Amino acid sequence: MGARLYLEPELNQPDMLVGWPGIGNIGLITMDTLRQELGAELLGEIEPWDFFYPTKVRIRNGVLDSMEFPANRFYYKRLAHKDLLFFIGEEQPSGRGGPYAEGNRAYEMANLVLNVAEKFGSRRVYTSGAAVALTHHALKPRVWAVATTERLLAEVKSQANTIPMSQVEGRGGQGNITGLNGLLIGVAKKRGLEGICLMGEIPDYLSRVPFPYPKASQSVVEVLSGILRVSVDLSVLQDLASQMEEVIENMYRQFPAEIRERLEQRRQVPQPGSAITEEDEKWIKEHIDEFFKKGDRGV
Amino acid sequence: MSQLVCFSSQPQLREPALVVGWRVDAGELGTRVTDYLIRKLGGQPFCSIEPVEFFPLGGVAIENDLVQFPETRFYACPESDLVVLQSTPPSYEWYRFLNLVLDVAQHCQVKELYTVGGMVALGAHTTPRQLWGTPNSPELKRTLSQYQITRDLNYETPPGQRPTISSFLSWTAKRRNIPAANLWVPIPFYLLPVTDPRAQKKVLEFLNLRLGLHLDLSDLDEAIRQQTEKLDRMRTSYPDIDRSISRLENNIGLSEEENQRLVRQVEEFLREKGD
Repeated sequence: MGARLYLEPELNQPDMLVGWPGIGNIGLITMDTLRQELGAELLGEIEPWDFFYPTKVRIRNGVLDSMEFPANRFYYKRLAHKDLLFFIGEEQPSGRGGPYAEGNRAYEMANLVLNVAEKFGSRRVYTSGAAVALTHHALKPRVWAVATTERLLAEVKSQANTIPMSQVEGRGGQGNITGLNGLLIGVAKKRGLEGICLMGEIPDYLSRVPFPYPKASQSVVEVLSGILRVSVDLSVLQDLASQMEEVIENMYRQFPAEIRERLEQRRQVPQPGSAITEEDEKWIKEHIDEFFKKGDRGV
Repeated sequence: MSQLVCFSSQPQLREPALVVGWRVDAGELGTRVTDYLIRKLGGQPFCSIEPVEFFPLGGVAIENDLVQFPETRFYACPESDLVVLQSTPPSYEWYRFLNLVLDVAQHCQVKELYTVGGMVALGAHTTPRQLWGTPNSPELKRTLSQYQITRDLNYETPPGQRPTISSFLSWTAKRRNIPAANLWVPIPFYLLPVTDPRAQKKVLEFLNLRLGLHLDLSDLDEAIRQQTEKLDRMRTSYPDIDRSISRLENNIGLSEEENQRLVRQVEEFLREKGD
C-alpha cells in the first residue's frame, strides 16, 4: 500500500492543492478545474485497492482481465514563481460505509498524500469543500476560510469575497469540516505544515440534492487563483454553472409557494436565523427524486 | 497469519480446491451449493475469520425472528481434498478481507478456487440452465474449456453498478497467482425467492467432474422433478400464471408489474406446497 510516483521532478517548494468529492462536489470541481486549466501533468497515484471497492471489472475473451478502482492521482505544474502539486481523489475511502472518510483508512490516506507533499518540499496544503449556508442560489457564493494559523488566516481573508468561518452569521465561531477535505488540514497541522480550507457556500436547500454546485466552485477558484497569483480561464466552469442554474431554477419553481416565499427573503443578503424548517427540509427531501425522474430536468 | 484468522484444527489436505459461497447471492445459489457440498462430503469447520474489522457490529440483524450474524467459516472435506468457504460478504476493508481468505487458501495449499453465484435471468424456468465460468487466467480458461463453461465474452461493469465480491476475490487471487474462476448460473427471476435445484445441479455437475467428488446427485433430480410437477400444477390451476410463463418461454418480456405478480404468485404457491 502506498503512493506510486511515475516521475521525480524537481519542484520549487510547491503548494499542494487537494480535492475530494463532497456536498455539491465543490472542492473536487474547484481543484480539478485549476488542475485542468493550468495544464498540470500526471505525477503518480495512490494504490487504491486497500481503500476502495472496485468500480469496474473488465473481462476480455472470457478471462477476468482487470479491475478498475476510483482514481487517486497526483499531478504537478511548474510555474514561474511557485510550483504546484495536485491530488485529486474520485472517492473518499469509506471507513464504515458512509460517504465521508473516517477512521484508520482516512488517516492513512491523509498521511500518504502529505508524504508526497513533503517529499517534494511542500510546506502548504489547500483543501476545499462546501459551506452549507442560509443563502439563496441567485446570490454569489461567498468563500468561508479556515487555516492552521492566525497569520495564514489573515493572508487568506484579505482576498475578496472571503470570510473567516468565525464571522459567519449565527455560527458562534464553531464548526466542523467533515471528511478528508477537513481531516487533511488537521493532519497537516499535526505535521507542522500550513493548511487552508476554502469552502464555497451552497444553499441549505440544495445541500442534499445529487448534483454539483459549480457556482460555489467558481467562487473558490477565484479566491485560490488570487492567492496563488495564477490566471485561470473560468469559461468552462461558468458554462457548467449556467447549466446547473437552469436545473436549479426548474426545481425551485416547483417548491410549494410558502417554502419559496421564505427562501425569497434571502435573495438580497444571506439572513441569519432563516434556515429552512424541518417541514421544508422534509418536503424537499421527499420530492428530490421526482425532480430527476422527469427527463427534461435530468442531469 | 493474522490474529483475525482462527484455526480450530489443521485438516489433512493434499492440494485441495476451494469452493466459495457468499451468504448474499441471487437465489442463494452459493449458499445452497456449499451447504450441499458440506452436507454430502461431511465437511467440518476448521477455520474462521473474526468479523470485527470487516462488518458493522453496532447491533445484530434479525430476519424472520432469527438473529443474523456475519460469519466467515472454512470447512474441510479431507476425503475429497476439498475446502469450502461460506461467508457473509464484508461491508468494508474488502481487499484486506479477501487477502485473509487467500492466506488461508495458501496455508491449505489450495490449487484452484471457484466462487459460486446466481444471476438474475428474465427467461422461463423451462429454459435449460447454463453454467458460465469466468477464469482469472488464460491457462485456466484452456483447462476449463473442456467442460464447455467458458465463453469468449467481453464485458465491463455498466456505469452505476459495481463488480461482485466474487470478481474482486478472483482478481485478488490473480495478483497472488492463484488460479480462480467465478461460476455463474442465470436463475429465472421468479425462482429467486424460493430455490432453483436445476441451477444447483448445474454447478454441482461441473464440480463433480472437475474435482472428482463422486457425488450422487439423484436427490437433486428428485427435487427438480417435484418442483417441475408443482409448477406444472400451478400453470394448470392459474391461467394467468400460465400465460405469463408462456410469454417468457416465447421470449416475450413482461411488464414490471407482471414480473412482480409472477414472483409473488410463484413464491406463495411453492411455499404453500412446502418448497
